[in-house]
Amino acid sequence: MLAGNPFSDNFMTSSFRVPAEPYYLPVGDEIDVFEAAYAARLPVLLKGPTGCGKTRFVEHMAWRLERAGALTADPSLITISCHEDLTATDLVGRYLLMGDETVWRDGPLTRAVRSGAICYLDEIVEARKDTTVLIHSLSDHRRLLPIDKTGELVHAHPDFLLVMSYNPGYQSVLKDLKPSTRQRFVSIEFDYPAFEKEAEIIAHESGTDQTIAERLATVASRVRNLRDHGFEEGVSTRLLIYTGQLISQGIAPRRAGELAITTAISDDRAVQEAVRDIIDVILP
Amino acid sequence: MIALEQVEESLALFAEGLAGRYIHIKTSGEQAGERSDPLRTEQSAEAIYLPEELPSADRSTYLVLVLQQLGYRECGTFAFNYRAWCEYARRELPPQKPHVQPDRDSDFTRLFDTFANPAVARRLFLLLEELRINAHVRRAYPGAAHYLDEWQSLLLSAQVPSEAPFDLLTAFVNGDREACSGIRDDLMALESLSANVFTTADLLVRLYPHFYHDRDLVLDAINAEVSGTEWMQREARLEDWKDDLEEKSRQLLAMEMLQAEDALLRDGDELDGETRDTSQTLYAMKNERDNLARRVEMERAALRYAVGIPKGHTRSFRYDEWNWLEHRYLKRYCRLYEERIQPEGAADVEALRKVIRQWRAQVKSQLAQLKPMGLQRVFRVHDGDELDLNAVLNARHDIRAGISPDERTYSRRDRVQRDICAAFLVDLSASTDDPINPPEPAPEDTDEEIPNLRDPYYEPIDAEPQEEPRKIIHIQREAMLVMASALDVLGDSFGIYGFSGYGHDCVEYFVAKEPDEALNLQVLNNIAAMQPKRSTRMGPAIRHTITKLVSAGQSMKILIVLSDGFPQDCDYGPIRGDHEYGLQDTARALAEAANKGIETFCITVDRSEHDYLKRMCPDARYLIIDEMEDLPEALTKVYTTLTLR
Repeated sequence: MLAGNPFSDNFMTSSFRVPAEPYYLPVGDEIDVFEAAYAARLPVLLKGPTGCGKTRFVEHMAWRLERAGALTADPSLITISCHEDLTATDLVGRYLLMGDETVWRDGPLTRAVRSGAICYLDEIVEARKDTTVLIHSLSDHRRLLPIDKTGELVHAHPDFLLVMSYNPGYQSVLKDLKPSTRQRFVSIEFDYPAFEKEAEIIAHESGTDQTIAERLATVASRVRNLRDHGFEEGVSTRLLIYTGQLISQGIAPRRAGELAITTAISDDRAVQEAVRDIIDVILP
Repeated sequence: MIALEQVEESLALFAEGLAGRYIHIKTSGEQAGERSDPLRTEQSAEAIYLPEELPSADRSTYLVLVLQQLGYRECGTFAFNYRAWCEYARRELPPQKPHVQPDRDSDFTRLFDTFANPAVARRLFLLLEELRINAHVRRAYPGAAHYLDEWQSLLLSAQVPSEAPFDLLTAFVNGDREACSGIRDDLMALESLSANVFTTADLLVRLYPHFYHDRDLVLDAINAEVSGTEWMQREARLEDWKDDLEEKSRQLLAMEMLQAEDALLRDGDELDGETRDTSQTLYAMKNERDNLARRVEMERAALRYAVGIPKGHTRSFRYDEWNWLEHRYLKRYCRLYEERIQPEGAADVEALRKVIRQWRAQVKSQLAQLKPMGLQRVFRVHDGDELDLNAVLNARHDIRAGISPDERTYSRRDRVQRDICAAFLVDLSASTDDPINPPEPAPEDTDEEIPNLRDPYYEPIDAEPQEEPRKIIHIQREAMLVMASALDVLGDSFGIYGFSGYGHDCVEYFVAKEPDEALNLQVLNNIAAMQPKRSTRMGPAIRHTITKLVSAGQSMKILIVLSDGFPQDCDYGPIRGDHEYGLQDTARALAEAANKGIETFCITVDRSEHDYLKRMCPDARYLIIDEMEDLPEALTKVYTTLTLR
């Protein structure tokens, strides 16, 4: 790492050796599937609505694989949050000015490819189209990363795995994943957990008591019935955890719901009023 | 006081969230026929009827009333089955009274009719069930408990003190725990989690003697007639019957196929005993299925008569209407039902495609002249109002690395994006079914020589003798489709809607395409399925389209109404046949659109007088076309109006 240089570490990535076990409550066979995919080095695509636990799942899997000795790189997980200005250069690397020199600096994807980490591209469809070129050569049998500016062809480390997430809900048709990209991945579908599991997750993550957690999960199931009214995602598990955390910090439950749920999911006045009422009658 | 109109929109969402499906929120006065009572809260399978006004300071009482009505569904009240209850209660099925018909009366009616005075039983049961439902509401919605308390204390304070058993029970249900001390334990049992509708029926049997001797009891008409709960039970039962019918039909089909296979295998053999048995079973099954089908049909008709035409697949909205005679708005006077067009089978879309191919290019060139509205920042350009920092940095890196840099280092805001949303609103009144050119009477002379049909000269005549006469709806559909496809090519968003209806409480609004959908085969099918229906109440349809356009959020909004003449409906104005009322309401609705920044145009396929258009539409905002040929030229008027502003 080149300390002191503002470009040395990209602001949109986070990379770390997962210190303690990230809490993850499996809802199906996703852990087994991921382990099998990793064993065969098949790239993985996580599909699901926002805040349902995709990122947490990847962190958990990185920790598991690290513990099992399958992942030895440090950091073992490099997460890149994609946005519409993210280009292939941002992923691969660029020349930087260092004093009087021009120095090549690997991007996060190149670092993961060289070191054998899991590279997690969050919300991949947000990224620019030129990134697909890199993804294609890395996600099939070639496992190659071409760097055109240096003329280098990097062979992926045996431990390297590409994981992407994408949210089919709110992406426009224009931003859909191409079949040629999608079909290079093993897809794992995520959705919000069932009532009991969601309550358990809320209680664990936010530290509220079981009653409040169950009530919040009930609110979620009711508010999700309104998905067609301008917010396609419904209320995410993450928002429920936020609500629980605010309640644990001493904020009154209805106020916490107002702050974390009502205003977060819609700007429509009637929808907000309805959600407020649902929270009002369901919370104790 | 709080009025329903202040809260109905969010209340419908509230109910939808809790019930998991859309439920119409209507005023009690909107109930069908004799059941209309402005003060009663009731429900049908697809609607909850609430009082127009309530004597409380905020919305909370409406929440309570909705929760209570949903409570009946959540607690399985309507799933009551008389026969199952008799088995559960280990009671003999009592001999049926001659006027009670198991398939025509609700299971509740059958239950009440086992008592000497069914009206007393009905009233008692409804109160007991209310007690059970209130307990459920308190348990499932703890946040609503204090709203329920407030509402009940209001009801309690309005009640005249009395020692009559029913009044005491009503007080108990409304929270006065001192009332009904003799039967308190029985009543409390209804409030436990394990109580169900059978518990209530059991208690009815046990408590009935206490109430039958209520000498002061004056049963009003409400209690004497069949209650809403009984209708709801019948609606729920009808759904079960329909499921049964489907299952029976499936079984029958499977049996028939088996028998057909059998017959093939035994081809030539004589009928043996087994085959005869199968035939008999089949015959019995068919009979059973047909009986059930008849029963379902009769029940459906009875419900339709009592509860109204089912509108479960629609969403409903209320809109004001302008009463020009009194110079005031009739608040929330019209109820509009919105539904997706459901094409029946694949329509002939090829004819529509042909029309698109023929006219799109011309129309597109007219519409293309609407100026793009949206500004967008464009990056990496040679000149502009700001430096594009990413491009500058990259250029610097390239220079330092000895690579020739990209010189496009600026960004600027360009008008590159057409930010237009259009809505096409097609009049689907019955009159659009009229042919454009009324068929001329066939020539009488029969002396003409019979033509030689093999002569190629006669082929065209021969090929299309049965062609459907060209109707107004065809021109409307085609004009709309050509404009829509032109906008589609230009990248604008647009919605396609049709409207019709009958009466102020049943305006029908059909959605063929919403702005965020693509113009695909499904939409073409929907357009082909747009058929003439009933009347033309334009005002509410325009107002609903305004709501849609405003929520779409584009900077330029265009509303194009395609119609064939006067707005008219059965109760559009005090005098039937007088068009002025409808005209004024439509003109007002168009003015409301203009106030909201929407450009409006009326395209009329009408050969009669056009005077009314001048009064109805703003200046130069109407086009009259006789045929598709007129459309491109007429559209020059549209873009001239829009671009010369």
